Amino acid sequence: MCEAQEINAEHKDLIHDVAYDYYGRRMATCSSDHYVKVWDQNSEGKWILTSSWKAHSGSVWKVTWAHPEFGQVLATSSFDRTAAVWEEIVGELPGPGERGTRHWVRRTNLVDSRTSVTDVKFGPKSQGLQLATCSAEGTIRIYEAPDVMNLSQWTLQHEIQCKLPCSCLTWNPSLNRLHPQMIAVGSDDPNPTNGGKVFVYEYNENSRRWIKLETISSLVDPVHDIAFSPNLGRSYHVLAVGTKDVKILNLTPVDDEQSAQSGVTKLDIETIAQFEDHNSLVWRVCWNLNGNVLCSTGDDGSVRMFKMNAINSWKPVAVLKGDSAQLSHAQYNSISITNGSTSIPFSQTARYIKLGSISQSRETPWH
Amino acid sequence: MESQVKTFLIPNDLCKRAGVAGTWASLENVAVFAYEKRNISQKDEPSHFASNDPSSVFLLRQDVILFHPILRKLVNESNGVFLSVQNVATNKNSDTKFELFKISRQYRSIIRACLENLQDEHTKSHENDEKSMLQNYITIFYSIECIWHLCEILFMDTMQGNFVLSQLLEWVNFHFPEYERNAANMLAENEIGLEEKPEYWDTVLGALLQGRIKLVRSLLKRHSSSDSSAFVLIEQALKSMPTFNGSCGSSLNEFNMQRRHWIMDVQSKIDAKMFSTEKHLDLIMRLTVGEEKAWIEVQDKCDVWYAYLAGWLFFTEPTVKSFELGRFAKRAMTKLRMNEHLRQLDKILLAAMEFDVFQVIKEIQHMYDNGWFVSHLTDLLYHCDRLSDLEKEVSDFSAEKLRESFVIDYGCTLMSHKSLWQVGLTYLDCCPNDGLRVIELILPRIHMETEAKAQKIVREAKNRELTQVVQSVCKVQGMLSMRRGRLGNALSWALKSQDGSFTSFLADKFLKNYLKLGKFDSPDILDDLGSGMLLSDRLIFLGKYYEFHKLYQNGDYKEASTLLISLLASKIIPKYFWYVLLIESIPLLESDELLFSSNATFTIMRCLEEKQTEPELKDKIDILRLALARNLSRALTYEAQNIS
Repeated sequence: MCEAQEINAEHKDLIHDVAYDYYGRRMATCSSDHYVKVWDQNSEGKWILTSSWKAHSGSVWKVTWAHPEFGQVLATSSFDRTAAVWEEIVGELPGPGERGTRHWVRRTNLVDSRTSVTDVKFGPKSQGLQLATCSAEGTIRIYEAPDVMNLSQWTLQHEIQCKLPCSCLTWNPSLNRLHPQMIAVGSDDPNPTNGGKVFVYEYNENSRRWIKLETISSLVDPVHDIAFSPNLGRSYHVLAVGTKDVKILNLTPVDDEQSAQSGVTKLDIETIAQFEDHNSLVWRVCWNLNGNVLCSTGDDGSVRMFKMNAINSWKPVAVLKGDSAQLSHAQYNSISITNGSTSIPFSQTARYIKLGSISQSRETPWH
Repeated sequence: MESQVKTFLIPNDLCKRAGVAGTWASLENVAVFAYEKRNISQKDEPSHFASNDPSSVFLLRQDVILFHPILRKLVNESNGVFLSVQNVATNKNSDTKFELFKISRQYRSIIRACLENLQDEHTKSHENDEKSMLQNYITIFYSIECIWHLCEILFMDTMQGNFVLSQLLEWVNFHFPEYERNAANMLAENEIGLEEKPEYWDTVLGALLQGRIKLVRSLLKRHSSSDSSAFVLIEQALKSMPTFNGSCGSSLNEFNMQRRHWIMDVQSKIDAKMFSTEKHLDLIMRLTVGEEKAWIEVQDKCDVWYAYLAGWLFFTEPTVKSFELGRFAKRAMTKLRMNEHLRQLDKILLAAMEFDVFQVIKEIQHMYDNGWFVSHLTDLLYHCDRLSDLEKEVSDFSAEKLRESFVIDYGCTLMSHKSLWQVGLTYLDCCPNDGLRVIELILPRIHMETEAKAQKIVREAKNRELTQVVQSVCKVQGMLSMRRGRLGNALSWALKSQDGSFTSFLADKFLKNYLKLGKFDSPDILDDLGSGMLLSDRLIFLGKYYEFHKLYQNGDYKEASTLLISLLASKIIPKYFWYVLLIESIPLLESDELLFSSNATFTIMRCLEEKQTEPELKDKIDILRLALARNLSRALTYEAQNIS
């Protein structure tokens, strides 16, 4: 019913982030061991480690892919107060980089932050190549590569002071050209009296500045992750927030005279779902491609999935947990074969382990 | 509320100790890895999970049985039927209902063909794993067929007066054909004394419970004592048993009267112990008059409750109407004392008999067929207008949305497969609300193993007027070709992507390569640039310069020099290319034939004065000046002679 392929990531410490490219065929991982690794899926479905390099001099918190229109480009953010942009180069000359061999080159090091850079995200591609970072001192920075064919030049376009330490950020991926660019930022500031922990900004074409639209005052607990849902041409935006629970909010632009005059969008904010299933803090939230399944990570050590049904209500559908259960010999064999790194590739074909599943509601299976 | 949450366990010790985090990998896959939240205010040092025992990422995927090659035919054929449903639904007329009913049967015949195929493979297979997998598939699709058939009878058939029994018996017979088969085998042997066969009485009873009276009579006639009085009596009784045919003949009242008389007659014979010599005959007759005790006796003989229900209704409520079915089904279940242990299938069939369409849909979406059944059936029920009643009952419920959400899910599942994605598209195309948006999100993310596949994706995007997807896919392919050093290919993709700055960049590469190698890459592409070159100034220059280059090589010096002058006069020459044009003018200036007018020569001179500091010109500048002076004198002389 569900099966897993194990990819031995070879990091020497826990992985902080895993990011897949636009097609789900390349995987980048980053870890406390300062390394970033890139994996490629071969035509048989097996994942092969193709690059591994020491990217920072501190824990690497986040890794993210740019749209493939810009080439093979990654951005990372780290405890070492920097964010970096990496580009994969295909070797053209014989010699150390043989023709066809690939390696990642640091195109820029963004050193403006005075504290840990907690999140990094590329903006929607319709606006060119933009990169937003946020940091523990509470600054959001928007960078841009004015010439997308030359990634070594980045200019710091905007700096937004957020007053509270920032932990996470998300770009609104709206496909609607009429929507101005929008960013939401979360803060993990622990003090509830400091007010709302999610801030929504919008780029104002007239003043060429980012303007704060809203501090979501209903969210006063620390926020650890935030994600706009892919927008299926809706007039409103959907935002998932990982805080003491999982929250899903609708942000609806209001068409009133005031906002028409000022050119600044006014938002109507409504919590449409709230899940305490983790029964603990929520560290990560992540949408699927068409925005009808949300996947959350909690301090209870589990991953939970929530799905929207036809009447627009959200329901928990699955839980993923670690299990120390001993594997049978046969299963174990198949796993050792999947290891991307084993010096002698036993097989080019990916192997899968069947996952044990517990159905909580149905004692009566189909068969 | 009933929860449908499934739990999956990742067999990994580190994941257990540290906890896991998850992220979406692609359309259908989730990646899970051992994770512990680090507080950035902590000191940055190795966690207590740091070790040489490396951590793993687990890529989870749903086991999509539809992707198994053995089910490929089902997927493709049902796609065809699905599309014809949409066709029928958009051209509604008086026959639509009947058309959709016929379509339902087409779906079922596809399932049956698939089941047969699975059975064959199952018999052929010798591997245990494969056998049990095939057995699983058989169970799934058997259930699907069974439910679909009942739904077809209840929700799609256009029965006269809602008399449902004959279809119900047919349904049971369809699923338990062994009695009929056994009977046929026995009768074919053409012998008397069939009761010697161990399955004789079971077959007789089975046929009776399926309402196959004629078959029962034929079997009884082959009993060795079929001449005895009890047998003769039973033959008379069964022969005269009034049967109800809802669609024609006797009216309801007439039939009921006849039946009452017949029961009274048979009952009096039973009471007179006229069948008691043969216990089987006695049981048969007691069943036909609907005696409670007799029906309790045969309970265990029935394979399933719905077979029992159909038989029981045949002898006690032959004129049952479809909307009464749920009530009788519940009664039958109580009789069989099975309310406590209903299987999934039982629940769904019961819900169908109770006309609870919503419940049926709710239940079947959890079957392990990856949404094949629920999407196709819901779609059909929607077009049969069977879901609109729910809109009145359930607030916020929209039948259209329900249908669309299932069809989108199914379409997306197919989109995630490397060769079924185009089939998936046809489903998304039939979703008027969100379909196109979902395509816009997913189509450009399909992995393009080959350029041919990229072309296919571009074509599908063009068909749907998704210009941005077309441009994005072309740009990505262009970048890819460039990385692989295939400049010509990159340029042709860039032209399709309409990306001005990208074509400029590539045009620069072409020109710089020309400087390096003295010849052009992929001249065929440059030959065909046409109006495509208007995308950027640099591209126009590349195209024009290439034209000049060709004219020059072909010896069309006159035209080449005209083109050269117009290029020099334009403002589109890249800085690094100026010197090339100037140097290349030397042989033209020195040609035997006078190629440049005095005005043209002045243009070159003006350019030279502007650019004389270019380092590449340094050792050519004197020659160039000389050539210019000589040409100017020739031109002026010529022009002076020709004025008069």
